[in-house]
Amino acid sequence: MMSVISPPSDIPPVLGELWQAYSRGERWALARLLTLAGEQDYRAHLYRLLSAVSPSAFVVAITGAPGAGKSTLIGKLILLIREGGQSVAVLACDPRSPRTGGALLGDRIRMPTVPDDTGTYIRSLAAPPGRQGLAENLDLCIALLERFAFDWILVETVGVGQSDVAVRGLVDCLVLLIQPESGDEIQWEKAGLLEVADLVVVSKGDLPGASRTAEQLRQTLNLPGFPAKPVVLISAAKGSGLAELLQQLAEQPRRRHTPEQKRQRLLLLAQEILAERFQEHADLVQRLVEEGQSAGWDDWQIASQLINRLASVPAKCERRTP
Amino acid sequence: MSLVAMNVPLPGKLKSQTRRIVLAKVGLDGHDRGIKVVARALRDAGFEVIYPGLWLSPESVVRVVAEEDAGWLGISILSGAHLVLVPRVLELLRQQGLSHVRVVVGGTIPEEDVPALLACGVAKVFGPGSALADIVQYFQSECDDERN
Repeated sequence: MMSVISPPSDIPPVLGELWQAYSRGERWALARLLTLAGEQDYRAHLYRLLSAVSPSAFVVAITGAPGAGKSTLIGKLILLIREGGQSVAVLACDPRSPRTGGALLGDRIRMPTVPDDTGTYIRSLAAPPGRQGLAENLDLCIALLERFAFDWILVETVGVGQSDVAVRGLVDCLVLLIQPESGDEIQWEKAGLLEVADLVVVSKGDLPGASRTAEQLRQTLNLPGFPAKPVVLISAAKGSGLAELLQQLAEQPRRRHTPEQKRQRLLLLAQEILAERFQEHADLVQRLVEEGQSAGWDDWQIASQLINRLASVPAKCERRTP
Repeated sequence: MSLVAMNVPLPGKLKSQTRRIVLAKVGLDGHDRGIKVVARALRDAGFEVIYPGLWLSPESVVRVVAEEDAGWLGISILSGAHLVLVPRVLELLRQQGLSHVRVVVGGTIPEEDVPALLACGVAKVFGPGSALADIVQYFQSECDDERN
């Protein structure tokens, strides 16, 4: 189990209390910390508290177009993983409105909620626009669940298109879900998401055309001389292919802690911090833009200056704690 | 576990928590048009609405509220079982240290049943004829009050 480590002394007392309860394995404290992971005031502290987490969970992202069957597949995987006696947590992302900031988070509908099962945990997250289908606090949420000792962490992205590849940096294994009749052979030759997925799953195997789609994908993705990529045909309705998929998943290498992945995660985080500061310091941004324009700078110069200035503004929580 | 949960205060006023709303259908009741319309309106008003689907038991609903760390639970009932199911949900929330979650009930609730629901801890009841704008306004003003 987890070791109870006392939080550093400059951590806000309430967060410290929560951290202790979380470290004892209290689920309500996990729930609240997942909320705090989305709050600017607490995130820097949480990164610090979680920095010593050693990798233990197997983190799998399920991505694909809207309606491809991501939530349904995760619902089935939860049952299979539990049957095998392992624990599983799910982070399910749905889009946040670019207009109002609101969201309708409806992924849980397809997933089982078993009241007394301490071996599962499902959390819905809103993903802002322009973030490649990912909630902004996703890496912290993964770390919180990992330290809570879940064996599997399944991440469901927002329904995505062809090139939302950032999720790969956050997980051990990336599964791309494709539904039948969603393209001809040329689709499968294209660069992007298909290229970086570790495993391709064709859903709705009970529908006509599913086997053909799977066969086309197998042929195109496994051309002689190219790295092989498994293609699995499943049907959640019939329950077929799911055990095979779980087996394939278990055989995938865990690559979340390679230096390359670490770099990708840090790039995402740096972009996030910059985007937040850009919004938070709208006045400063406006002033710099006007100054740059009157000095005759081009957009490149103005943007570079913005990065320099915003990078030196302290984070919100650093300003709050002495 | 529940006692500890109640003793730990919310750190400050968390906008993200008070603006998370679980909307749920409890029991054997398949009439979900109303709750979907309310979900859409609250989404458009900037709330994060979690909709876990039909036919949930009170135990499952409370589990969802706990996992999602929602500030609100909206229960829609058109089956006539509100006087049985709603008190059960409230009792489970209390048992699990979730008394801070405010519960709103909507659906075909007769006028004469409203006092009983309010007495067992429901914050507000929206019966037949409730205007969508009033429902949204209610959540907006409660959340605004809280932050002031």
